[in-house]
Amino acid sequence: MRSWRRNRESGLEAELRASRPEPSSELVNRLEARVRHDGRARSGSFRVAFAGAIAVFMLSALFSVGGLGYAATGAGSAVATAKRIVHSHSVPQVHKSASRSQYSNPKKKCPKGKKRVRGVCKRVKKAGGVNFRRPPFTG
Amino acid sequence: MFRVDPLANPEPLIRRVYSYVAYRVGDGPDAEDITSETFERALRYKKSYDSAKGEPVAWLIGIARRCIEGRPMSPELSSEYLEMVDHLDLEDGALRRIDLSAAVSLLEERDRDLIALRYGADLTARQIAELQGAKTNAIEVALHRALARLRTHLEGSEPAPVRKSQAGR
Repeated sequence: MRSWRRNRESGLEAELRASRPEPSSELVNRLEARVRHDGRARSGSFRVAFAGAIAVFMLSALFSVGGLGYAATGAGSAVATAKRIVHSHSVPQVHKSASRSQYSNPKKKCPKGKKRVRGVCKRVKKAGGVNFRRPPFTG
Repeated sequence: MFRVDPLANPEPLIRRVYSYVAYRVGDGPDAEDITSETFERALRYKKSYDSAKGEPVAWLIGIARRCIEGRPMSPELSSEYLEMVDHLDLEDGALRRIDLSAAVSLLEERDRDLIALRYGADLTARQIAELQGAKTNAIEVALHRALARLRTHLEGSEPAPVRKSQAGR
């Protein structure tokens, strides 16, 4: 109370400002770190969102000029080339050809006295009429 | 549109909020707790800040006021405490600060709030008027009266009783 009697006219308002309670440095540091940490976390999520937005924008821009089709064609040809390189070559087998039909599955000969008729061996009857004989020896 | 971050420069805001709270509830752990709670709420509701409605400090003081109102009343500095302080061998500046905070604690709630807003949070009369939904002139008059009562307390004489009509203004 003493000092106020001495200088109360010199400015109570200035004194109120000068004597305002100050927070401890520990509190200031703690709260400042808390606020800055929160800000960083938010800016991190903002960065992810920004990157996503840029990607969407670029895709839509490419789509509008047919870049996506061009890229798809390029990718397709690349895949085809890769397949061709990686694929192992083997001797081509032709399953139906003239030679195969001629030489494969040889027909079995019919036994003596039989003849193939429509794919089946059948006994052939001797002609009953004229018997061929050797002409007689004349000398 | 880009939003303004109200907590972009937190240090001066922390000091002003703490000063306001300390003038209201007294310097110490209670004031620290309320200041921390204020900033926690501010971080949670940062999106609700509208720069068109006022400065960040006014927004924070509004949150701090609600935090104070939501807390149970703490015992104010008693005259016994002042007597005890009188006998301690303290520096002149420290004594003056203690005298001042003791005198502020003796004020009516409304006067203390005004003093805290004006000299703790360093708000202008116009900002206080916006915060309280009153006219700037009315705030200036109320501040003048609060200062007069504070002077009376500091001089050690019994303060004149505050009439209800004055306190309600």
